[in-house]
Amino acid sequence: MSDLALISSLPEVKTAVLCDLNGALLDSVREADPESVAAVMGYLTATLVQSGDELGLGALRRIALVGERRAWLVAVRGEAVLSAQVEPPSSIAAVEKVLDAAQRG
Amino acid sequence: METILQAILDVAGMSAALVFDGSGRLVCHRGRAIYDRSLCEQLSATLVKAIDTVQLQHEDWDSISAQYADGKLLLRRLGASAGGSHVLAVVGDASLNPSFATVAIRVAANKLRKALEAGALTQPTSPPPSGTPLPPAASPSDSRPALANTGLSWSKSSSSVGLSRIAVADPAAGTFLGRCAKELARHVGPMAKVYVEEAVRRVSPDAAFSISAASRLLDDLSAQIEDGDDRAQFRKAVTKG
Repeated sequence: MSDLALISSLPEVKTAVLCDLNGALLDSVREADPESVAAVMGYLTATLVQSGDELGLGALRRIALVGERRAWLVAVRGEAVLSAQVEPPSSIAAVEKVLDAAQRG
Repeated sequence: METILQAILDVAGMSAALVFDGSGRLVCHRGRAIYDRSLCEQLSATLVKAIDTVQLQHEDWDSISAQYADGKLLLRRLGASAGGSHVLAVVGDASLNPSFATVAIRVAANKLRKALEAGALTQPTSPPPSGTPLPPAASPSDSRPALANTGLSWSKSSSSVGLSRIAVADPAAGTFLGRCAKELARHVGPMAKVYVEEAVRRVSPDAAFSISAASRLLDDLSAQIEDGDDRAQFRKAVTKG
């Protein structure tokens, strides 16, 4: 099962988008405006990669955006960026665990 | 203000803490020696772009955490006060305990919000982008590295890290040093600025560093990179820029 299929099968994940580091949409699940999400998450990822370079922090692996009502989890997989909208935001740790487990195989 | 940011640095694994406003202007910072004002200003300018982007998708964001191979970057929104929105950014290394960091940041954010509401940060200590009039001077102690807490050493040269800032003869020399540190960071990580400072002291011990010493500095820094490919890549990147 792909990471996108896996993550979007979780009840806490409302929408999921897969894009590349340039923000180009590759695939999506239940997202009404996937192109916009892909562009935003691609640009966000590229900007935080730049910050990491400036700080010497190494490769960017994951971003968590948390708000009062929802959260976004962004996982960097090589050239691909997987974004998932999580509700409630407190479930983000559980979604991260699933992704980590999948990556470890 | 400094006391609040210093409390964050007291948590093991924390490297730097800074506050910037909605235009990306550094308001104040504390950090280990390598996280000086220049780096924090650069970071603020980059991070504000990330935040502007996030707000397109997630207007009510409260915190952002970015996990890297060798550390973490944590952002916390401080809200709109004192005439603008402010963000607390914290840099941690791989040893940072996420639970302790969360608590420390929440405590600091609450205190910073109160300070903002009281108008403590209305005058940024960093200069605005070129072409913008300078604000009235604020206390220089509001934004300076916590040099006394560094405890860093560099075994390769068998010398301890000096704590004085590097003097440059002209803006071109400063730009060159910044480029060296940035490119070196790709190979050696956060210690890059320390290595550059050490190298400057070796190649230009008695005078302000000038661009005429650039070649010697590049040779000195290149010698610190053990891998031949990395060394060549570093030299190419610095000379190309």
